[in-house]
Amino acid sequence: MRRLSSPARRRARLDDDRILPLINIVFLLLIFFMVVGRLSASDPFEIEPVHSLSAGAPALEAPLVTIGRGGALALDGEVMDETALITGISQAGATGLRIKVDQSVEAARVVALLNRLKAAGVGEVKLMTVPSIEGAL
Amino acid sequence: MAYALPTRFPANRPRRRRLTISLTPLIDVVFILLVFFMLASSFLDWRSIRLESGQAGGATPGVVGALMVTISPDGLRLSGLGVTRDQLAGRLAPSLAEDPGRRIAIRPTGGVDMQRLVKLLDDLAVLGATNVVLMPGAR
Repeated sequence: MRRLSSPARRRARLDDDRILPLINIVFLLLIFFMVVGRLSASDPFEIEPVHSLSAGAPALEAPLVTIGRGGALALDGEVMDETALITGISQAGATGLRIKVDQSVEAARVVALLNRLKAAGVGEVKLMTVPSIEGAL
Repeated sequence: MAYALPTRFPANRPRRRRLTISLTPLIDVVFILLVFFMLASSFLDWRSIRLESGQAGGATPGVVGALMVTISPDGLRLSGLGVTRDQLAGRLAPSLAEDPGRRIAIRPTGGVDMQRLVKLLDDLAVLGATNVVLMPGAR
C-alpha cells in the first residue's frame, strides 16, 4: 500500500507544482478585475456612448434616462414610453437628471425631450459621455 | 528509539495528509469568480456635459440677442450664413473673447445625430463659451 501510494503522491505533488503558476496568474487577473473594473447595472439596451473632449465631473447620483438607437426610452433601466417617463420623473421630484444617449440618436429628438423635461420641472440635465480618443472622429 | 518511533508516526501522518489536498476546487472557484468579474465590470470612464435647453419662440430671457448656430446635415450656419467649422471658430472667437458669457443658441435640424452635436459643443467649449443653449429644431 505504501509502496504504491508514494509514487502516486509524488506525481500529485508534481501536478500541483505545475498548476501553481496558473493559479498565480488567475489570482492576479481576479484581483485586477476586482480593483479596476466597476460594477454597475447594465443598460436595458445596447448603447454606443457619445464621445466628447470635455472633462466634466463624473455624473452626480440622479435618475438616469437612457435613449437607445431607435429612440427607445428607459428610466433607471426600465423601458417605458415618453409620457410615462415624464410622469415618473416629475413624481420622483428630482431636480437633476443624467441622460445616456446613443451617438446615432437624432439631436433634434433629444432637444425636444429636454424641453419637455424642463417644462416638467427638471433643472439640471447632464449628458453622460466618454472621453474621445484623439482622431477617432 | 523504541520510545521515539510511536511519537514520530502520528506527528507525520497529518502533515502528509495535508499535502495531498487537491487544488482543483480552489481553481474552480477562482475561475468562476474571475469570469464573473470579467463579465460584470465595466471599464468605461464616464464624464458628463451639462445640457441647457431653451424654449421655442425666444420666450426664455437672454435668447434674444444670442448668436444662433444652426447645425444641419449639410453643415453649419451662423445667423443664417453657411460657415465651415474653422470659419465658425474664427467668427465666434472675438465676441467670446470680449464676453465669455455671450449666449450661443444651437438649433439642430433633423438628420443630425447626437455625436455631431456634442462635437460642436466641444468646439464651443474649446473657444471658451460658457453659455450655450440648445433650441428645438425648426421643421
